[in-house]
Amino acid sequence: MNPLEDKLREALRRKAAPEGFSERVLARTRELAGPPVKFWDRLRAFIARPTLRWAAIGLCLVIACSVAYRARQEGQRREGEMARVQVKQALRIASVKLNAARRKVQEINRGAPQSSL
Amino acid sequence: MTNARLERREDALARVARGDATAFADIVQEHQFMVFSITYHFLHDRSLAEEAAQDVFLRLYRNLASIKSPQHLVFWLRKVACRRALDEVRKLPKAPPASLEDVAEPAGDPPDSDPLLSRGLRRMVASLPEDSRAVIILRYQEELDLAEIARILDLPLNTVKSRLERSLGVLREKLHRWAGGVAR
Repeated sequence: MNPLEDKLREALRRKAAPEGFSERVLARTRELAGPPVKFWDRLRAFIARPTLRWAAIGLCLVIACSVAYRARQEGQRREGEMARVQVKQALRIASVKLNAARRKVQEINRGAPQSSL
Repeated sequence: MTNARLERREDALARVARGDATAFADIVQEHQFMVFSITYHFLHDRSLAEEAAQDVFLRLYRNLASIKSPQHLVFWLRKVACRRALDEVRKLPKAPPASLEDVAEPAGDPPDSDPLLSRGLRRMVASLPEDSRAVIILRYQEELDLAEIARILDLPLNTVKSRLERSLGVLREKLHRWAGGVAR
């Protein structure tokens, strides 16, 4: 056997762990295990995180703005549609009236004496 | 390993599987010297070594379900202790290692036959690169063969062999110089 190896074995032999080592390990494992946490408590804790709260507020604002914008666009589209219908109706009425006037003018022209021309 | 020890270890693992809270305490009791010694010989700082050794057992506590046998348990503890100690060593500032004369020896150990030589050798081991230190600690503290060291450190067998030979060469030379210095 190599004398250096024997010396290394002696120098590196196992050391005793510090007093109370295992108790400290077990205390840490107890902390790790802790009491069982209910699902709702975990969810509440998750929601209560400030970053998540601000993110939720931001998201709500974005959704609200988007809904308002869409509603406004929809209102404008409906008004435009109504105006288009009204214009078409007005044109139809005007056309009927013009036709009636034209017929009247033609009748008058047919009944009038030649000499007057 | 004697049959009685093996049975006791198997019993502790079986009790852990059944949810016996005292079984884990038995496992810690049985392996604390091994784990603490690995981290201590790496770090040469009792509080850092204890912190690292505690972390190893906490990791074991979380991974108990994956431990298949007492042999696997010992292999797992050695592997995780080495990794944890290596991580800790790499986090330390790259200052020259503290003089071992300044470091208190753990109480309650049997005295060395030549305390001065043992202390000098530990200092020399501490001055080796981390990877070589791991090989030396597993070889001479844990008395493992080279194949097992290779498995624990995830290294090819030839790398372990060459690191061991190179480290022994360096240690032999340092010891020679040290012995000359002491004799003068």
